[in-house]
Amino acid sequence: MFKRKNKRKLEKFDLIANALVIFFALLSLFPLFWLITSSFKNSAAVVKMPPDWIPKTFNYGNYIDVFSNQPAFRWAINSIIVSLVSTVALVIVSSLAAYAFSKLEFKGRNLIFIIFISSLMIPKEVMIVPLYRVVQDLGMVNSLNGMIWPNVATAFGVFLLKGFFDSIPDSLRESARMDGASELRTFFKIMLPIVKPGIGALFILFFVQVWNDYLWQLVIGQEEHVKTLNVGIATLMQDLNPNFAYKMAGATVAAIPMLVIFIVFQRYFTSGITIGAEKG
Amino acid sequence: MKVNPYALKRNITGYLFIAPQLFFFIVFLVYPIFEGIRLSLFKISYQETTFVGLDNYKALFSDPVFVKSTINTVIFVVAIVALTVIFAIFVSSAIFDKNAKYVSFIRGSYYIPVMVSMVVMSMIWSFLLNPANGLIPYVMRELEMPAVNFLGNKDLVLPVIIFVTFATNVGQAIILYIASMIGVPRELFEAAEIDGASRKDVIFKILIPLVKPTTLYIIIINIIAVLKIFVVIQLLTGGGPNNASTTLMYFLYNNAFKYNQLGIASAVGVIMFVIALFLAIPQLRSMLKKE
Repeated sequence: MFKRKNKRKLEKFDLIANALVIFFALLSLFPLFWLITSSFKNSAAVVKMPPDWIPKTFNYGNYIDVFSNQPAFRWAINSIIVSLVSTVALVIVSSLAAYAFSKLEFKGRNLIFIIFISSLMIPKEVMIVPLYRVVQDLGMVNSLNGMIWPNVATAFGVFLLKGFFDSIPDSLRESARMDGASELRTFFKIMLPIVKPGIGALFILFFVQVWNDYLWQLVIGQEEHVKTLNVGIATLMQDLNPNFAYKMAGATVAAIPMLVIFIVFQRYFTSGITIGAEKG
Repeated sequence: MKVNPYALKRNITGYLFIAPQLFFFIVFLVYPIFEGIRLSLFKISYQETTFVGLDNYKALFSDPVFVKSTINTVIFVVAIVALTVIFAIFVSSAIFDKNAKYVSFIRGSYYIPVMVSMVVMSMIWSFLLNPANGLIPYVMRELEMPAVNFLGNKDLVLPVIIFVTFATNVGQAIILYIASMIGVPRELFEAAEIDGASRKDVIFKILIPLVKPTTLYIIIINIIAVLKIFVVIQLLTGGGPNNASTTLMYFLYNNAFKYNQLGIASAVGVIMFVIALFLAIPQLRSMLKKE
């Protein structure tokens, strides 16, 4: 910005720094390039050194193997269900709560909010033993329900959305109430449409977070039919099959949905991720 | 005391709005914390549960694997957080004032590994590092460097895990820094330029001090994230060789779900909970101050 204005040449320092940044950026993409090209090789080509940087023949067989030897399709469906239901549930309960913390007055509001926010920094994994027992008592081990509902406990949604509600002037709510709209109607008809960008950011960030939440899904889903994609694909690693191309095809299957989401929703990531920092 | 019916109704409305979120919060978060503290005081087996007081904690501190796990976790936290902050500042300060398309390309390149998840990235790295047919050992052989087994050597395994975790997750810090640096008022740079400041001066004397709140935020979220480091350990090394790369989370997982030592595992959880809470205090304080 200020460079362009001064019409000055890039300083040498800046030039070298940017060359390095580009170099490392390409390096950071390299593992994915390697993943995808390897997945199309046959079992001999994948371990051939020096390697074929671009596979000589495109071999789709590894993908067919992944889907026929493993219930990979089932895993993918499970991942979608777990991520989607968790996210929709969190959006609903946390937008209601964030609205209340922002706009409604009730006893203990600030205290409850402080407790909520304090929990944000505690990884739920540290409580995995008692949490597992809770889920066990509810009869939800080896079920998608057991993977879904504990996700909705997080204060992340309240934290992210409260700022959006804060920025809506109180007068808007008061005039709606004066016109005789109920609190719930005011919330759904007037408030929710205004905080749509916040909900969009929460949706996409939390969806990805749940999709990639490996440990909890590993612990709860031990049977083949309830495994999620990441957990299932990770078991391929321990598979005795020495064909690396096959394993890389599995990993590609797990990677593709997130790559697509990132490319389509890039804007939301940038805005969503930075909200936390701005508030912090 | 007189009850104001209007205030009562207002309170009830507020509670009804937070009730669903509060329900999940209590059942799956608050209750497990207290239950975890309680379980950590018991010896738990299939048949019976016996109160043992602080014995689980005493057993932990005399268990060399637990001590090793703690030391490794501390090393990971310090090294990964330091690398992440330094590298992310380097990348962001180099590109934040450039063409928007360029910024978005660089940001995307570093963020894609974050999206693709630690599971997939661990699988790729395990393939790249595989001593028999991985690309990296091959390149090293070609360069006539001594043959090393990255994941089987107890002195190399920690640096390798640090690098893999850092390389996979640094994209998030870069996104945060770029946003924060773009937000710095441009006049500050222009004034400095007029005074003849070099770009290096601008970065070190203006930019880095001004993005300090972002740095604090990045440090905290990364500490918390590395504290629970698990996937990369399970998929790359299994804690080996000979427990050289075990971590607190991996130790907790094994005790809970492999050795069925639920009391011990709960005690590890409580210790990690206390560490997380303690580390989070500065961040919480600044977040609450803004409210």
